[in-house]
Amino acid sequence: MTTDITAAGRTRHALGRVLATLARSVAVFVPVFLLATFVTFALRSLSGLSPARIQLGEDATPEAIARVEAQWGLNRPFLVQYADWFDGVLHGQLGTSWANGADISTLIGLGLGVSLSVATFALLIGVVVGFALGTVAALRRTTWVDRAITGFVTAISVMPAFVVGIVLVAVLAVGLKLFPSAGYVPAEQGVGPWLAHITLPAVALSFDVVADVARQLRSGLVAAYRENYVTGALVRGLSPRRIFFGHVLRNGLGPALATLGLKFPSLVGASVVTEWIFGLQGFGRFANDSAQAGDVPAVQGVLVVSIVLVVVFNLFVNLVLARVTPASQRGV
Amino acid sequence: MVRRVLALPSGRIAVAVLAVIALLAVFGPWLAPQDPLATSGNTLGAASGSHWLGTDYLGRDVLSRLLDGSRVSVLGSLEVALTALVVGVIPGILSVYLGRAFEWITLRLTDTLVALPFLLFAVAVVALLGNGITQAMLVTGVLVSPLFYRVSRAATLAVARSPYVEAALISGASLGWVVRRHVWVKVLPPIAVALAQTVGVGFVIVSSLTFLGIGVQPPAPTWGGLLASDLGYLSQRPWAPLTPALLIVVTVWACNLLADAIRDVSGEAGRALLNSRKARANQIDEAGPAPAGGAS
Repeated sequence: MTTDITAAGRTRHALGRVLATLARSVAVFVPVFLLATFVTFALRSLSGLSPARIQLGEDATPEAIARVEAQWGLNRPFLVQYADWFDGVLHGQLGTSWANGADISTLIGLGLGVSLSVATFALLIGVVVGFALGTVAALRRTTWVDRAITGFVTAISVMPAFVVGIVLVAVLAVGLKLFPSAGYVPAEQGVGPWLAHITLPAVALSFDVVADVARQLRSGLVAAYRENYVTGALVRGLSPRRIFFGHVLRNGLGPALATLGLKFPSLVGASVVTEWIFGLQGFGRFANDSAQAGDVPAVQGVLVVSIVLVVVFNLFVNLVLARVTPASQRGV
Repeated sequence: MVRRVLALPSGRIAVAVLAVIALLAVFGPWLAPQDPLATSGNTLGAASGSHWLGTDYLGRDVLSRLLDGSRVSVLGSLEVALTALVVGVIPGILSVYLGRAFEWITLRLTDTLVALPFLLFAVAVVALLGNGITQAMLVTGVLVSPLFYRVSRAATLAVARSPYVEAALISGASLGWVVRRHVWVKVLPPIAVALAQTVGVGFVIVSSLTFLGIGVQPPAPTWGGLLASDLGYLSQRPWAPLTPALLIVVTVWACNLLADAIRDVSGEAGRALLNSRKARANQIDEAGPAPAGGAS
């Protein structure tokens, strides 16, 4: 009965599925985005911080403070300020820093290259190593290989990124001098030095991803192997390779991919600490510095960008999920 | 449930480790052999009879600082877990009963909280709203509460649809009585699992924040702060981060071990309902086998 489905029909069907997923994800993410930006913007009013204190110092006269606040438009009603700011956010304008008047979008853009290099590399390590470990554990389930992998995964899952980072610096950078201990070189100045500088922070960040992907993939695959269709395929005489790629992998992949989507926010969050350890002038470092300096617009900008990153990444994961495991379309 | 957890070897180990850490938190400041804030000329000293773990860059005794700093980390992580428990569980259970509007709003709220990179947000909120580990941990607790919301909601959903609860409601039992009598028993184990996990997560967050110097005043010792000050002197004392790092890792590991032990003894229901992802996967399974071989 599958013979009457033409290639064109299948393509149209797949496209429709992608569009449906996209529409559903957007419907979920729009309220999330509105709410998250509102909370972010409310931070200024809640914090009671003002650019006047940064620019004029502690003992400024009330008139001078009022003048500076009027200059920044802070004497307008809260909702008017929010609407104005949100309009800017939609156009990619995150305002200017209280500390030095620089354009925040530009400042964040400078740091984002560093952070995204590290985060992408960490995700890559997490996916490759996590998939390898999870698959091997599932194929050799209940043997000593499986137990060894499970033990290893448990061990690395309890190591926070900053602890791993410090140990890596102490052993590989300071002790054995295999890697530079701090700093960043853009990829344009040579791929070798670029990789050398981002490897340690990426490895430190990847532990968590490796552990979660491996665990979810193992349990997903083991569950898929117990299904009747696998027994059926076995009875039909299909090769183990074909059963694994055709039946087991596609059905067991869902939880691991979904985990990847959930891991991204913690990767972005952990960059605050790892960039501090490895002396990277990235997104997380910028967030920490601005927060400690009380530069509210810069912090708001960082949070908005992080929310956008998370939302876009989850959209991407949902699309892949819809493509790879059709079953994920039903229960949602 | 406590007795059954202690019957497992892993449960005993986890409880023992956590008990030691808790004792450190309670008695640590008195056990400290020297004043954790007293500086001396013996800077970056190696381990010796008078300084078992050596001295830091200001000549302060590292062992005393570790013992004195344990209280901040432990109290902070407990505060995260308890805040998350209160903020997550109550709407999680009520979302099943209070109608669709409440359900929709709380679901969107948890979606939002999950989308926020919580460490980044914790750093921002704490730095902007004023220093103090207490505020920091309250905010963090709210940010990690979605886990409790989902776990309690999934468990409650499963119980709420069960025949005996419907029978109780039809026979005129009040909602409060049903929740106390039937729902609570089934919902408690997965919440206990989530609580143990969250204490571990809270521990990592407290350590990360104190590592960045957020939420505590500089001379006060914390485990994260010890790591941060060791970082600058790695070439002189490369082994220095080992003790605080090990303490943090072992504590987090014990929390996870305890969570696993509770999950193992609380039976099939607790295991299957641990997280919504698994619950959803089960629903898909129950929806019937996937149409195989061109049945459509």
